[in-house]
Amino acid sequence: MVFTWLNVGILVFLVAGLLFGAGPLLGSLLFAPRMSGGDARMPYECGMTPHGSSWKQFGVNYYVYALLFLAFDVDVLYLFPVAAWYRDSQGWLPFVKIFLFLFILAVGVVYFWRKGVFSWPRRIMQ
Amino acid sequence: MSLWLAGLALLLVKIGLVLFVVLTGAAYLVLAERKLLARFQLRLGPNRAGPLGIWQPLADALKLLMKEDTVPAGADRPLFLAAPAMSAATAMLIFAVVPFGDSLTIAGRPVPLVVADVSVGLLFVLALSSIGVYGVVLGGWASNSSFSLLGAIRGGAQMISYELPLALSLAPVVMLAGSFSLVDIVSAQAGCPFIVKQPAAFLIFCVSALAESKRLPFDLPEAENELMAGYHTEYSGMRFGLYFVGEYVNMIALGCLVAVFFLGGWRGPLLPPFVWLMLKAALVPLVLIWVRATLPRLRFDQLMHSSWKVLTPLALANILVTGGLMAALG
Repeated sequence: MVFTWLNVGILVFLVAGLLFGAGPLLGSLLFAPRMSGGDARMPYECGMTPHGSSWKQFGVNYYVYALLFLAFDVDVLYLFPVAAWYRDSQGWLPFVKIFLFLFILAVGVVYFWRKGVFSWPRRIMQ
Repeated sequence: MSLWLAGLALLLVKIGLVLFVVLTGAAYLVLAERKLLARFQLRLGPNRAGPLGIWQPLADALKLLMKEDTVPAGADRPLFLAAPAMSAATAMLIFAVVPFGDSLTIAGRPVPLVVADVSVGLLFVLALSSIGVYGVVLGGWASNSSFSLLGAIRGGAQMISYELPLALSLAPVVMLAGSFSLVDIVSAQAGCPFIVKQPAAFLIFCVSALAESKRLPFDLPEAENELMAGYHTEYSGMRFGLYFVGEYVNMIALGCLVAVFFLGGWRGPLLPPFVWLMLKAALVPLVLIWVRATLPRLRFDQLMHSSWKVLTPLALANILVTGGLMAALG
């Protein structure tokens, strides 16, 4: 192989992609008109003047999904090395181990299901 | 030294070709979508710019270039300016690991037809699709508009929920191929493509990919009728163009990934490998356009249900069945 440290390919690709993105932006900096004054920079809210900032509280429901995702995604990462090795394994013991791992994962989903996280509007049981 | 330079030149040529093909493809995918949607709705679609409207993408790009790039008052300026690039760059970077054919032999040396054959290619793809969430969430949050914020939160919840079945549906593929490298996964499908062995994983992957692409029927982050344009309501000009390009490049990337993971990648009779990959990769965008013309939008709870109550358990069961069959058949 001519190029063995291929990961450089990804870095160069990233730089090339950024240039492709930055080129048009530079063009728009040169060609696009610029307005000043008036309400041109007011955030859009169906024609009304927005009340204050939009950075305020929102439904906590979404927060639970983020937590769930975090718990699951770490587990999925543990699953992948096992999956890559699975073809070279012998007998049923690896299968039993994967079953145990996935069973505990599935119990997590069932727990949140029973808790009512997936019902909408949310009714979390105490 | 000269060998090193030749390697670098080759790399640059490959990257240039890939980016050119992908961006042209994305531009014409926009035209194809508008044409097809028009036909589905008994209209003609764009037909003024050139014969059959073939210069329409160019005209669109020029128009976006001439529009002002506004930043709303009170926005988080650095984040607002950077977010569209995050969305577009992650979509384009996926093509760094997609193999376009078997290795060629130039001047007695094998040249792999892939920008970077990373040994953890599949994890790289998943990581990129996770970073893609930032483009949506940060862009929507930084706009300081209520519609954008709602779109961003919905987008974040939706994309991380569908990230899981997407990753879990690929675990059986890794089990069968025994490797994370996309090149190895394609060569593992020399006998029969994985869609034959893994129909369930194929379906789960397709639905999750559809949700990841934020298009109808999963387009809640940018639902026009309730959120104007969701997370990119406040974007204009070329920066809106970057989001747009990102979305369409992402569609092509998903097509390529479906081709690589399930349809045998560049393998096929008669035609050259690259043409086969393009043909297979074109299937997914066409289906996405068709689905957009056919299905109404889901409700948010239905969206979340289908991920957590249907797709994720199904993907977990699929891993077990695959493992059991592999152990039983030796």
